[in-house]
Amino acid sequence: MLNEGRFELTGRDRPDLLLLISIVVLLVIGLSTVYSASKAVSESGFFNRQVLWVGIGIAFFLAGTWFSFRRLEEISPLLYLLSCLLLFATLFLGSGPADRWLIIGPIHIQPSEIAKAGLILMSSWWLSSLRVRPRRFGEILVFLTILPVIILTLLQPDLGTSVAMIMIVLAIFVWAGYGPGWIYLIISPVLAAVSSIHIVFWILFMCILGLILYRRRYPFSSWVIFMGGNSIVAALTPMAWNLLETYQRSRLITFLDPSSDPHGAGWNIIQSEVAVGSGGLFGQGFLQGAQKELAYLPARHTDFVFSVWAEETGFLGGLILLAAFFVLIWRITLAARKSVNAFNSLVTAGIASYFTIHVFVNVGMTLGIMPVTGLPLPLISYGGSQMIVVLFLLGLAVNAGMFWREV
Amino acid sequence: MYGNSKNWPFLFFLSVALVLFILLGVRLIYLQVIKGEYYRGLSSQNHIRVIVTPAPRGVISDRNAVILADSKPAFIVSAVPSEFNRINSALVEQQLGMSEGEMNEILDEASAVPHRPVVLREGLGVEKVSSIAEDLYRIPGVMIDVAPLRRYHRPEDFCHILGYVGLADTQGSFRGEVTGRTGLELSLNEILSGIPGLKREVVDALGRVVEEFRGASSEDTVPGGNVALTVDADLQRIAIAELEQTGMPGAVVIIDYENGDILCAASIPTFNPNMFARGITQDEWNAILDNQDNPLFERAWAATYPPASTFKVITACWLLSEGLISPDYMPNPCYGSLTLGDTDFGCWTSHGRLNVVQALEQSCDVFFYRTAQLGSIDGFAEYSACFGMGSRVADVLTGEKAGLIPDSDYLTRAYGSDGWGLGNLLNISIGQGELLATPLQLAVIAGIIASRGEMPHPGILLQREIQNPVLSSDVVTDFAFDTVIEGMLRVVTSRRGTLYNAFSDSSLDFWGKTGTAECPGENHALVIGFTRDPMPLAISVVVEHGGHGSSVAGPVAERILSSYFAERGEI
Repeated sequence: MLNEGRFELTGRDRPDLLLLISIVVLLVIGLSTVYSASKAVSESGFFNRQVLWVGIGIAFFLAGTWFSFRRLEEISPLLYLLSCLLLFATLFLGSGPADRWLIIGPIHIQPSEIAKAGLILMSSWWLSSLRVRPRRFGEILVFLTILPVIILTLLQPDLGTSVAMIMIVLAIFVWAGYGPGWIYLIISPVLAAVSSIHIVFWILFMCILGLILYRRRYPFSSWVIFMGGNSIVAALTPMAWNLLETYQRSRLITFLDPSSDPHGAGWNIIQSEVAVGSGGLFGQGFLQGAQKELAYLPARHTDFVFSVWAEETGFLGGLILLAAFFVLIWRITLAARKSVNAFNSLVTAGIASYFTIHVFVNVGMTLGIMPVTGLPLPLISYGGSQMIVVLFLLGLAVNAGMFWREV
Repeated sequence: MYGNSKNWPFLFFLSVALVLFILLGVRLIYLQVIKGEYYRGLSSQNHIRVIVTPAPRGVISDRNAVILADSKPAFIVSAVPSEFNRINSALVEQQLGMSEGEMNEILDEASAVPHRPVVLREGLGVEKVSSIAEDLYRIPGVMIDVAPLRRYHRPEDFCHILGYVGLADTQGSFRGEVTGRTGLELSLNEILSGIPGLKREVVDALGRVVEEFRGASSEDTVPGGNVALTVDADLQRIAIAELEQTGMPGAVVIIDYENGDILCAASIPTFNPNMFARGITQDEWNAILDNQDNPLFERAWAATYPPASTFKVITACWLLSEGLISPDYMPNPCYGSLTLGDTDFGCWTSHGRLNVVQALEQSCDVFFYRTAQLGSIDGFAEYSACFGMGSRVADVLTGEKAGLIPDSDYLTRAYGSDGWGLGNLLNISIGQGELLATPLQLAVIAGIIASRGEMPHPGILLQREIQNPVLSSDVVTDFAFDTVIEGMLRVVTSRRGTLYNAFSDSSLDFWGKTGTAECPGENHALVIGFTRDPMPLAISVVVEHGGHGSSVAGPVAERILSSYFAERGEI
């Protein structure tokens, strides 16, 4: 079952038509929504630039479909290093909103978007190389490798994006065959800290932990490390919390949830909910919505683009958008399953998780069920770096789906 | 390959995505299908308005729970730009005494977030509000709310310690938010300010509240935390009054040297911080700027002075502890000056032959010129640093200065390696030269000697952890302390002592040391000292350009302590 790096290529398939259709549908939805959002306050510059980004993005898409995965695997660590350096530079040279932009002449780059792609390539590279040459503590090496990007993103500070990055990497681990039990063990310290809020949660947490350790037949030493270590974490968390002054706690909460914005009063979220809700079943009509409720929403063409779409096209439009995304994710996952070797498969699975996480967090935010984070809606939100990276990744996904080995 | 051998990751991925998308779909159904009518009604006829209720700022009190700063109810008039019709601008301007066109300017400025009220006038009293409320209530989009106003009860006495508040100018905060600008109001702002409450209301086109917004919860106001200080308001009042008698700027610091409590940190001239809390007028501001003594400047810990002869107690401790002299050692007599190279180092009179106790008693400079030559400048600097010189000593005092102890590195940087020599050591040994200390540090020196090195770091918050002693190591020997304490007693009790006159009629037992800092114009007058009974207090007094420490600063210290103890009925 392992490829050992050798495989036979027996055919090159046609590109997945359903995948292409869903991409086109989403791009059309995205462009029309950005047009509508920018029309409301007569900022047509946004739309023109977005058309340019999509144009460049399509070139990257084609490059992605054509690029040799073998070559990509070779240069993956290099690409990852490059995205690290970009992020690092942002720390000192960052400008623009929240200092997350790198401005080189006329080019404005958002390195954290590029870093997400670098992260997918790097962790896939590691895991596929571990399949060929297993190492002791190989998984820990993977985590140590991706740590710089996570920390640099945290320092921006962008908690939402760094959590999304960790989720993507964990999803790639799942795809590589690491079961939920293994994932549970990896994130057990975080779960222990969270479970310490109530004894019932903690008992539940420890029971599941014990069950996993038993089923995986871990030696006694592992029991001591996991059970003991997590008990200490769970015991220390409330103590540390109580040691903090009230204002320190509120600072911590603000850091964990930067959008809590006590003064802004969640105004954006409320406006977004009202906008989405007022869309009703069939919407206010194209170009009709944005004038009214979202005219003052600062991020209506970026983070809150879904609200504009849902207000103008209603439940029907919202459903079409979600369905298109689901088809997209389904076809990418299928491509990952068909892929000929470990690296291709892992990268493609990473792309699928990228979409799942971004769509859920972003749309969930506009509907008021997820916290406000800076995660954009891929293919829809205004933004060059993101559009180009996403289309390149989609090109890779199409590419991966075109190769397979006939069994 | 993956898929063929293991199907579960594939199913896992798809089912996770499916569950998440169903969640989104359900929420979409709730918002658009079930609540769609409600939201559509909201968006077509009504606005949502966010009401921010400022949190009352925490109360600051002294050690005896005397309230120094609290908040009084006041009114704030604000307007919601999206609901306000500019036809009414003139009427509002007239009622609130605003200049013509001011209203429209404010509205233009606030157009980015039109649903949020902007403050037009704040800090209005009940009478003022009731006279204008009648007219304003009829105007859509104008609101009158209660907003607490900061009130300082002993404004002049505590203006420098507490500082004052002003309108916050940080981005993202609501209009009318108050923040600490100076003093403890600034350094304790996080504790004092609390969290403003939020309420979201649905209002109709006329500005009438239709209902509370359903959908996002409101947040309650969290009042700011209260703070108790170690200062004694009575002592502070006495100190300010006595200092003002001198007619010169100056400072007094009094510390309980057993627990480090700062009981008094007076600085004159003073100002009235209530002016800032209610919004200062141009005339008041000009009056402050025109005062050459700068009332806004804090002198107890943010100003540094040459410690002058008060520093001789540290010089003496150093000489004795290092074994450079013995308590009985008498160097060559003082003839009124000492010549080193071609420079004359003067003394204020001819003292003749003295030992260290007598040198302290009569504040002889030549004694210290002769003996300081036995040590090195760096040894002395290190030693002074142990007494808290050259570093901040207290907890949260805004703008506390560290002072300066010159060592060889510093002097080389300032004058070049050949630009300084033994002369600098001689100057420093009598507290002159580059040496600088805050009045707070001077009081700490007295406290360290009184407590024989046990005095903890001073603090101004009553609820604080008592820290380690300022004197970080036991560099000072017991007999050094004994000898210096003996010397400081003789300063007061001996007929030749520099404080004999100041304390001759006093029933107070006092240990002290005077200083007269040479400076352009009249000299600064300084005194440090301590009492043991009825309270363990260390004191420092600085009177800028006051003249002699013995004749100006000494009597001030005596009167402050006597009046305070008399008021408490303890002597």
